[in-house]
Formats: sequence, structure tokens, C-alpha cells
Amino acid sequence: MLKIIIPTIMLMPLTWLSKKNMIWINTTTYSLLISLISLSLLNQPSNNSLNFSLMFFSDPLSAPLLVLTTWLLPLMLMASQHHLSKEPLIRKKLYITMLTMLQTFLIMTFTATELISFYILFEATLVPTLIIITRWGNQTERLNAGLYFLFYTLMGSLPLLVALISIQNLTGSLNFLLIQYWNQALPNSWSNIFLWLACMMAFMVKMPLYGLHLWLPKAHVEAPIAGSMVLAAILLKLGGYGMLRITTMLNPQTSFMAYPFLMLSLWGMIMTSSICLRQTDLKSLIAYSSVSHMALVIVAVLIQTPWSYMGATALMIAHGLTSSMLFCLANSNYERTHSRTMILARGLQTLLPLMAAWWLLASLTNLALPPSINLIGELFVVMSSFSWSNITIILMGANITITALYSLYMLITTQRGKYTHHINSIKPSFTRENALMALHMTPLLLLSLNPKIILGFTY
Amino acid sequence: MNPLIFTTILMTVLLGTMIVMMSSHWLMIWIGFEMNLLAIIPILMKKYNPRTMEASTKYFLTQATASMLLMMAIIINLMHSGQWTITKVFNPTASIIMTSALAMKLGLTPFHFWVPEVTQGISLTSGLILLTWQKLAPMSILYQISPSINLNILLTMAVLSILVGGWGGLNQTQLRKIMAYSSIAHMGWMTAVLVYNPTLTMLNMLIYIMMTLTMFMLFIHSSSTTMLSLSHTWNKTPLTTTLILITLLSMGGLPPLSGFMPKWMIIQELTKNSSIILPTLMAIMALLNLYFYMRLTYSTSLTMFPSTNNMKMKWQFETKRITLLPPLIVMSSLLLPLTPMLSILD
Repeated sequence: MLKIIIPTIMLMPLTWLSKKNMIWINTTTYSLLISLISLSLLNQPSNNSLNFSLMFFSDPLSAPLLVLTTWLLPLMLMASQHHLSKEPLIRKKLYITMLTMLQTFLIMTFTATELISFYILFEATLVPTLIIITRWGNQTERLNAGLYFLFYTLMGSLPLLVALISIQNLTGSLNFLLIQYWNQALPNSWSNIFLWLACMMAFMVKMPLYGLHLWLPKAHVEAPIAGSMVLAAILLKLGGYGMLRITTMLNPQTSFMAYPFLMLSLWGMIMTSSICLRQTDLKSLIAYSSVSHMALVIVAVLIQTPWSYMGATALMIAHGLTSSMLFCLANSNYERTHSRTMILARGLQTLLPLMAAWWLLASLTNLALPPSINLIGELFVVMSSFSWSNITIILMGANITITALYSLYMLITTQRGKYTHHINSIKPSFTRENALMALHMTPLLLLSLNPKIILGFTY
Repeated sequence: MNPLIFTTILMTVLLGTMIVMMSSHWLMIWIGFEMNLLAIIPILMKKYNPRTMEASTKYFLTQATASMLLMMAIIINLMHSGQWTITKVFNPTASIIMTSALAMKLGLTPFHFWVPEVTQGISLTSGLILLTWQKLAPMSILYQISPSINLNILLTMAVLSILVGGWGGLNQTQLRKIMAYSSIAHMGWMTAVLVYNPTLTMLNMLIYIMMTLTMFMLFIHSSSTTMLSLSHTWNKTPLTTTLILITLLSMGGLPPLSGFMPKWMIIQELTKNSSIILPTLMAIMALLNLYFYMRLTYSTSLTMFPSTNNMKMKWQFETKRITLLPPLIVMSSLLLPLTPMLSILD
């Protein structure tokens, strides 16, 4: 795993020592090369994990997430070039350093063996993200957004630290590879109920669960484009990944402790989808759509069947790529009109037809059109939740309908109709932007040919 | 002040603390405390104005009361054990009185009221000495009598200190008061683990001293005593703003910075001894501390606060020399990966 981590750390000296006209080229190229290295991890020979060392491992669950993380860094760098173009050189380098630091922590989090090391790196990802949101965001609300983001996550995760240490006392080790063999059933008692809650709440806040999701619209909307991309694509999946790992230790309590969270998620996905229908702010719409998709993942993880785990993993990867692409598209609008209001930039198909093609593809994958991997994820989750309880099909069906409604609403408002007269003079699409969208879309489309690699460890 | 006299007084302060830390006779310890107290009064009053007079008087009164209580505890101990050596305290009453006396010296709740006011009334350098060096002597005595301290009182004082340190700092804009409340909260963390594993108290003390030293050095460098004047640093020395950000996040206990290490170790030690609710409560209340550190970083590093000039860089006459800042910054932010080395302390 060091063959990925050390080059990523070395991206930091690379930025600081690059010349002014070479920083973007250098960093984007080398981060693309690093993502190429991580592709080798997708070759998972068996369901057991690939152990690289005592501290790092990768298994069929973490490998696709790792590839997504490393794939996203060059995309984030490409997306940030425009809004940083007017900043002084040192601030550009600081921004890239923050992104690289975040990337390093994320890679180490997804491959950590020891759960306490996972926790420390999980918390460590907060610091660069906070700095990116509050320092480089665009509106005054970003300060509040940063505070909400930091404190919601910390309130949830401090009990997790205590819970992990007490589990270490009970079982002797928190090395993930060992726990799966030493696992014992968790008896039912009040203190074990609190242990379950302490373990899960951190990831519930991160996902986010419907009642605890207030930080997400704020943080996504106020963050600069790279911040939004990494938040939507990866940081939410940290919660999902953590839940998938830690639920192995928490049986059989999950079968009855999960009920309130299942109810919240099932209801919340409908609620947040409905809110999307009434949004005026484009980024806010995409943020609430993220909450809705993640609620599906929570349902899948808490049901704990093989199909639901497959659906959760596929949905995480698919949503990561789709959401990140939608944010890039929204950002291309924002860079031209400096406003996130949807109706201010209507009818873009007439002005920017190629971008309209990308909008169409992104909206179609967002509403889970066959045969995209979004559909595979959602379908598996719907089927497994149907087998868990027949009535959920009503809610799931309603959710799919409303998702289609708001995705098409977003598409039609921004692309179709007569264009507003004040956007006559916007710049045409840059090659960089088209390349960005293509790099998002190509993995998404190609993965529908072989979804086996993203289906996780229950395939 | 005449440099020779200043050096002599400073040496007396050092000597007092050294006597406290190295004696085995209770009377010598008391003498060390008194020497320390008397010598630090002129240092607190380096600038002669009514505010410093008030602060020094408050400090003198509380510390003298604490020393008298300490003497009483020593005498009760002498009565019950017949000897003056420091081993453990032989009588529960003496133990309670001694713990209260040392809590008064450290500034633990409910004896914390003097800390913000004294720290606010004195200059930044004197405040630095007050909040770091002066904590060493009482903590060393607590370390030595730790087997015989009444657990209930100590834990109550610790938890209340963390609460008071968190809540009290929320309404402050004066930097010295913020550092004072931060000191109260950190003392709470240190005393909470004293009975379980005193080594962790010393670890926390070490890292706390490093971080507080760094913070005060950065404040002295920009000569700022309020949040408003600190927010002008982006105009004077932009690098300092990054350093303030890192050090404040470290003080708040965020991984991956070294301020997380004492909190993690303390939570681990408390959990190993089967107290689960206590460390959870302590950790959540430390978030209050984090809130006002974040507010400080918001006005200083993460935004460009409105400043008094339109120039790129403010003209200033002299740059104050800051000693030892780079190693301090490194130690106060990057020590977390060295945590496995703590096993040598066992």
C-alpha cells in the first residue's frame, strides 16, 4: 500500500517546488499516475483480503472505494483550476496541499487494518476539509457551514472512540483481520445497546442519516468545487464503509437496534427527495439528492443481507461518480453566472450543446437508468428491502419516482426552454470541463459492462 | 526592571519550583512553594499599574491561602504518621485538605475563579510563566501523593473544571482569558487520570506546556491581546496565521495533531478501568473548548478580517524575536505518530 501512499505524500513537495506555470500540469499528471497504480488493487483473487502489511490491507469492499478516491484527485485538481486562477501562487499551492493531505488521509483510512487507526484517520480527514470549506468557500455562510460540519461529526465520533477502546479491552485486539475470526455474539443488555449506538452514530452522522443531515446541505453548498466533489464522492462513503466494517462486530443486536434508523432512512429518503423538487439552489438540490441516495445505503447496510451489501457497495461507487459529476456541472454554471439559482441560467442547451449532453447523461445516471451501476445498486437495495419487509416497496417505489422527477426537473430547468437573455455572453465550454465530465462518465459507463468489481465482498 | 534583579528573581522562581519537585521533607516543599510565590509577585507586576496590582494581589491571596491549607494538611499528616517524609498521606482529612490546597494552586474548579482575572491583568510573558511553569510544582506534589487521594473529590473537581473551562471561555474575546479557561480545562483532564495512571498526567502536562508555550509565543510575536488585534496578523506576518491555526486545532484535541495524544491516552486509561460514561462526558465537553478555538481561527486564519489598512502588508517597525518557535510548533502539532513510544514509560 505504500506504493500509493508515499507518492501521494510526495505530491506535496511536488506542488511546493513546481514553477508557476507547471503546478497544475505536474500535480494532475502525477495524481493520474497514482490512480493507475491503485487499479491493480481491483484484482481481488478471493473473498479474503489482500494483506500488504500489518497496517494496511485491501479487500473487495475497500478496493473500489480506494480506486474512486485516487481517481477523484486529478478530477478535483482539474475542476479547481478556474476559480483559483486569480489567486496568488502560494495560495494555489496551499489549496493543492490541502487536497493532497486529504487524499493521503482518505487512502490510509480506506486501507487501515486497526480500527483505532481507522478512527484517527477518519477524524484527520475533517481538518483539511474544514480548511478547504472555510478558507476557500465563496459566501459568508461558509463559516457556519464549517462549524456545523466539524461539530456534528465530532459529537458523533467521540463516543465511537470510547466504544472502540472498550471493545479492544473486551476482545484484546481491534485488528480487523483478526476480529472476523474472533467474533462473538453481543449479548443484549443496556450497556451493549449504548455500545451499539456509540459505534454507529459516528457513521450515521457522516452518511448522513435523515435527522442528522443538517450539516450536509450547508457544507456542500458553501464548499468550493473540489470540496464539494470530495465531500459528496468520498467523505460520505467513509460513513458507509465504516458501518459495513463495524456491523460485523455488533451482531445480533443490529437486528432490533436498527429499526429506528431504518425508519428514519426510509422516511428520510422520501422527504429529502421531495425537498429536491422545491429547491431553487442548484447545489442544494444535488446535496439533498446525496442525502436521499445515502439513505438507501443506510437501509441496505442495516438490513445485512448479501444482496443488500452488494447494492450498498455498488450504490456508493455509482453515487460517488454521479454526484461529483453533477457538482462539476453545477460549478461550470456557477463559474459563468456566479449564481447558484437554477432559473437564472436556463436553456443552456442552445448555448452549450456538448455540456447539455453531459447534463443529460448525469441526470440519467442520477435517476438510475438501466443499465448503469446506479440502477444495479438501487435495484439490489430495493429487492433486499422487499425481502426484509414487503411494505417497503411502496416507499422505495415512491423514492425512485421522486428521484426521477427531480433529476428531470433539474435537467429541464437548466437545459431546455428559451435561454435567458443575460447569459448570451457566457464563455463556451472549456476543453478542461469537457474532459472532466468525460472522465467522470467513462468509468460510470464502463463499469456497467463489468459490475462485478464494485459489488463488494458478498459477490 | 534592572536586568540583574530580574534574573535573580526569575532564578528564585525556578529554585522554588525545583525545591518543591526534589524535596522529600514536607516542610521544604512548603518553603519551596512560598519562595516561588514571593518571587513571582514582582514578575507579575513588571508593569506598574493598578490592573497588575490587582492581579498580583489576587494571586498572592489565593496562593497564600492554599499554602496555609497545605501547611495544615502537613501538620495533620505529621500528627498521624509522626514523620515528615513524602510517601503517602496517612489521614483522609489531611488528604482532602491537601488536595483542596493543591487544587487552589492549580486553578481547578471550584477554586478556579482567580485564573482568568489574574491572567488578564498581567503582561503576556508573565501570563506565560503563570500558566506553564507555575503548574509544575503543584502537579508534582499531586503525582507523589496520588495513591492516597480521595477519588470522588478529585474526579468531581476534574469534571467540573472541564465544564467550567469549556463554558467559561465561550464568552471571551480577550486572549489571555481564553488561555486561562483553556488552562482550567486542561488541568481538569490532567487530574482526571491522576489516580489511574499518573504517567499520563505528566504526558498531558508536557504536551499542554508545549502547546501553551507555542500559543503565547505567537501572541507575543504579534503583540496581540485581543481577538481583534490577533485578526490583523494576516496583514503583518501571514505565516503566523497558519501556525496559529495548527496550534489551536492541536489544543482542541483534533487528530492528527499531537494535542489528540493526551486525550486519547487518557480516554484509553479511563476506559480500561471500566469507567465509560466519564471519558465520554469529558470528551464531549472538550468540544466546547474546540468551539472557541475555532472561533479564534475563524477570525485569524480562515478569513481575512477587515483590517486598518489597504496595503498588502502592514508597515511595522520591529519584528519581535521569538525564541524556539519552530521546534515548539513541530512538537505541538506533529507528535501523534510517536504514540507507540509511550510504551517505554511503563
